[in-house]
Amino acid sequence: MAYKTFAAIDVGSYELAMKVFEISSKNGIREIDYIRHRIELGTDSYLTGKLTNERMDELCRILREYTDIMKAYRVEDYKAYGTSAIRETKNALILLDQIHARTGIRIEVLSNSEQRFLDYKSVASKGLAFQKVIEKGTAFIDIGGGSMQVSLFDKDSLVTTQNIRPGVLRMREELGRLSYRTYQLEELVDELIGDSIRSFRDNFVGNREIKNIILVDDYVSLILQKGILESGKKGQVDAEVFLDFVGDLKQKKSQEIASVLGIPEENTSLVYLSALMLRNMIRTLGVEMIWAPGVSLCDGMAYEYAEKNRLLTVTHNFEQDILACAWDINRRYQCDERKAQERAMIALNLFDHMKKAHGLSKRDRLLLQLAAILSECGKYISLTSVGDSSYNIVMATEMIGLSHLEREIVANVVKYVRVPFEYYDILGRTTTLDKGSYLKIAKLTAMLRLVNALDISHKQKFEHVKVVWKEDIVTITVETNSDMTLELGFFEQKAGFFEEVFNIKPVIRQKKSNI
Amino acid sequence: MKVDYSKSEYYYNRELSWVAFNHRILGEARDKTIPLFERLKFLSITASNLDEFFMVRVASLKDMVNAEYTKKDIAGMTPIEQLEAVNQATHELVNMQYSTYNRSLLPLLSQNGLKIIEKHEELEEADKQFVDRYFQDNVYPVLTPMAVDSSRPFPLIRNKSLNLGALVSRKEEGKGGLKKHLFHKKSNANKELEFATVQVPSVIPRIVQLPEDKDGTKRVILLEQIIERNMDKLFLNYNIECVYPFRIMRNADLSIEEDDAADLLKEIEKQLKKRQWGQAIRLEVEDGIDKKLLAIIQKELEIEEKDIYDIQGPLDLTFLMKMYGLEGFEHLKNKPYTPQPVANLAQGANIFEEISKRDILLHHPYEVFTPVVDFIKQASRDPQVLAIKQTLYRVSGNSPIIAALAQAAENGKQVTVLVELKARFDEENNIVWAKKLEQAGCHVIYGLVGLKTHCKITLVVRKEEEGIRRYVHLGTGNYNDQTAKLYTDLGLLTCNEAIGEDATAVFNMLSGYSEPLGWNHLAVAPIWLKEKFLYLINREKENAKQNRPARIVAKMNSLCDPDVIKALYEAAAAGVKIELIVRGICCLKTGVEGTNDNISVRSIVGNFLEHARIFYFENAGKSELYMGSADWMPRNLERRVEILFPILNPELQEKVWHVLDVQLRDTMKAQILQPDGTYDKVDRRGKDQYIAQEEFCKEYVQAVAAQEKEEKQSRTFIPETHIESV
Repeated sequence: MAYKTFAAIDVGSYELAMKVFEISSKNGIREIDYIRHRIELGTDSYLTGKLTNERMDELCRILREYTDIMKAYRVEDYKAYGTSAIRETKNALILLDQIHARTGIRIEVLSNSEQRFLDYKSVASKGLAFQKVIEKGTAFIDIGGGSMQVSLFDKDSLVTTQNIRPGVLRMREELGRLSYRTYQLEELVDELIGDSIRSFRDNFVGNREIKNIILVDDYVSLILQKGILESGKKGQVDAEVFLDFVGDLKQKKSQEIASVLGIPEENTSLVYLSALMLRNMIRTLGVEMIWAPGVSLCDGMAYEYAEKNRLLTVTHNFEQDILACAWDINRRYQCDERKAQERAMIALNLFDHMKKAHGLSKRDRLLLQLAAILSECGKYISLTSVGDSSYNIVMATEMIGLSHLEREIVANVVKYVRVPFEYYDILGRTTTLDKGSYLKIAKLTAMLRLVNALDISHKQKFEHVKVVWKEDIVTITVETNSDMTLELGFFEQKAGFFEEVFNIKPVIRQKKSNI
Repeated sequence: MKVDYSKSEYYYNRELSWVAFNHRILGEARDKTIPLFERLKFLSITASNLDEFFMVRVASLKDMVNAEYTKKDIAGMTPIEQLEAVNQATHELVNMQYSTYNRSLLPLLSQNGLKIIEKHEELEEADKQFVDRYFQDNVYPVLTPMAVDSSRPFPLIRNKSLNLGALVSRKEEGKGGLKKHLFHKKSNANKELEFATVQVPSVIPRIVQLPEDKDGTKRVILLEQIIERNMDKLFLNYNIECVYPFRIMRNADLSIEEDDAADLLKEIEKQLKKRQWGQAIRLEVEDGIDKKLLAIIQKELEIEEKDIYDIQGPLDLTFLMKMYGLEGFEHLKNKPYTPQPVANLAQGANIFEEISKRDILLHHPYEVFTPVVDFIKQASRDPQVLAIKQTLYRVSGNSPIIAALAQAAENGKQVTVLVELKARFDEENNIVWAKKLEQAGCHVIYGLVGLKTHCKITLVVRKEEEGIRRYVHLGTGNYNDQTAKLYTDLGLLTCNEAIGEDATAVFNMLSGYSEPLGWNHLAVAPIWLKEKFLYLINREKENAKQNRPARIVAKMNSLCDPDVIKALYEAAAAGVKIELIVRGICCLKTGVEGTNDNISVRSIVGNFLEHARIFYFENAGKSELYMGSADWMPRNLERRVEILFPILNPELQEKVWHVLDVQLRDTMKAQILQPDGTYDKVDRRGKDQYIAQEEFCKEYVQAVAAQEKEEKQSRTFIPETHIESV
């Protein structure tokens, strides 16, 4: 049987973890080793923005050991991702280069949304079990050390995601600074996160019914995975049973908890805190069932690798999630959904007919689609500076599955659709965008500007739009009986930028319907 | 009324319990139903046990007393009280050892054609010539005689070594005549006497066989007697006023500051040298030793009166083990047992294929240790094997396992070996192995700081067509092919995926990586194991309270963890039936108030050393069986890396249960702990004579015979179906 051996390295804030997997189309993803080394990179980088030499030496030493382990398993490929600790290091680039030189391992840095997306992918790697759970309204809760990510599924798609602080380790640290009695702990936890969870419910859940929670964390998941609680399937438990269990935990000594759960005694407080956080969410959201698939970032990396190498059948459409998120934002900011749909349709039509001219990828097509959906959301804030407001909304709203860079591209496109385009020597001063991304923004902006020009009055209803590209002219024929004077007038103005970017002259033609 | 079971009155002192254990072994040496040479062996064991007990336990008590440590033990005794009690008990034990030797064994040996010449003075003329020649040719070249005077300080007397001490006087000048005082063990008060000593060399056999008697009686003399006879040849310018053997025991506990030690290997090497200089804690001298000579030794070694043992016979009875090897007395020994092949595991079979078919249980020494050696040997050559990981605590000299591991590394496998450098009295040995393995390219880990790695686990990672597969061996005994012929132990060979994952996690942990977030099946000390045991015991207690079936059967070497004992008392009080098979130290008492005689303790001392640890919990009808490397002792549960593993396969569960069951039925070698702390033989009224170890021997021989018979019966000749035309 053909299978690939793949290693996933997670350079986290508190831990350097590596999982070794075997991936085959027959057996899917199989974890064969999980090595963890505690190293508090976060302590250094959060405080000083740098890693001490000692910490750096330790990191490199462990990575070299991991390399040996990879060799022993004859690992064919690997991925190493750094998360917040590396992200928050000032000299990250230099650091990563040094690590590569010393260990041969190249670490890539993940944004929060990319990191959460991988966590999410790790759950999706559970295939049918995952699809079954999200058939009902589901909250995806990813409890990390510093913060937690709460996302919502509606009709199979992930529609919104929010980062809420604190995470479990940060909470323990915060509580550690208070003097309280044991019986007060529950109330304190509720106070610390209750408000955020209630706001999330009121602002984002609306009248959706949330029946399930998918949980990704290091502590409660372990208990659910062990099947200690009476439940149907491995990793699943009824909310009521879980709430009873949390009640029981309160009565138990930490020694007893450690023994029953088979965990180190020092972790029992984190189990209890995680359980209390989860209890708050269960009660606030009115959840009936919890599913902890027992996965980590490394599992998501394996899933991503398998997906890229076509070693597994993808059962979930992640692009659909991103689009669902965009539509949710569109609705939240009270945009005209029909218009947005029309914009997106014309934009994609244009994109598809100009493939050779723009040379962009399928993923960029998605970015254009997102920009078309979101390009009016800034109106909710200001009717005069729609571009800047839309930019701010997109930049402030996480869409799981979209990398930070991709989000920035979308935000810039929705901005420059409205405001004069800034060339790289100006744009480059205020962002970290590379030239490739800049060009991408320019091309997508040019296309979307053209689409917007067709819709200046926002009254149009196009029956059909036909795009024909011949040599240096692209002809857009719109079928409508409405008066298009305004659109035709503005088209000239918008067409200039399009022509500048693609060196193709856009022409608009109106075709009256035969009604 | 609820009883507070943590009170000291409910516990025995562990040192005294150990002395009682050594008495049980001595009981075997005194048992007339046992063949004579086996009795010699048991007596020898009591002697080597006692040496170790002094070097470690008594030394530790002395350290405590010297440090004015006054905390009481679980039995409520201060270190001073313990030391006094131990002193009295060990003096009694030694008296009984020599009474056994002199009154029972020596006459019996003589009757059976083996005479031990106790004093060289008893030698006949021809023998004298023989021993003097032997001395000249073999002994003299390796001796280092040392005299003490104002210019030469008192020499280092090595730990455990046998020495001859003498008082000597300078010969008067011009009168070089023969030593008229020689062999007259009386010092002359008018002469200036000096102390002289010579170590009896350990490189030469202690037992020297003399030419056979006319009537065919074999005669032997001990090496120290030959040297004593020839002492004048060592100190030519002196008159030998008297000569007596003496032997000292030193504090042998290593004090290693692991946190500060940059290189543990070097630090241990350094400390081992120091062991020879540890405080003298026991002096054995021949009964009747010259008082002046004794006074000099006592003063120089700074030893107290109560630590001096007057020995009525040869010092250091461990020579009796060598005596066992003398040819011609096979009729006075047990018929040697040959470990049997493992059923359904053909010799030379591919061990990985066999394990992938089924879990394999190994019961040593009734079954051979070969599958364990083969497991590593085959792994070292198997091109599919990627990695071998193993823990080593005590290994044999010229170990085939070490050779296979080295071979594996040379063959390009990733070999990780944890060699426990702190394995007491095997430190030197293990340093040698560790270096050898490193040279071969193995990744050697020297244990964990502050913990001894005592678990016995091997992991073989194999890349198979379906992916990585892990093969694991878990055992209750060391990876030592030699002791596996003498110690009763159990082992499991499995490729259960969940156990394989746990095994990987164990080695990751031992390599310094974080502990796993949870375990599938294994419970690992020092973090999880004690809690696991307490949980299992308490679960039985709760079951008993609910009138559900509740029973514990546990077999181990020692039981002295106060938390576990307290939990057992409480479980017994709740109605749990607890049957313990504890070979050695047992600090738990039977007949304790409130426990309703629900606890019984039996100790089995037999030809093989009982060494397996097996734990059975009834669990309300869904019984669970575990095996492992840990005793119920604080050191195992809190200061060592130990593994407890479950037996999951129902067929193997039955086999393991059978091991316990047979031991519970032993009526001959089992001794029952009485409420007064003594051990009595089983009341055999209405019961057959039943020896568990013999039963196992019989069963395994029969099983192999049955299999051979079956193979013969099922043999078929396969006719040729095609004849090629010529």
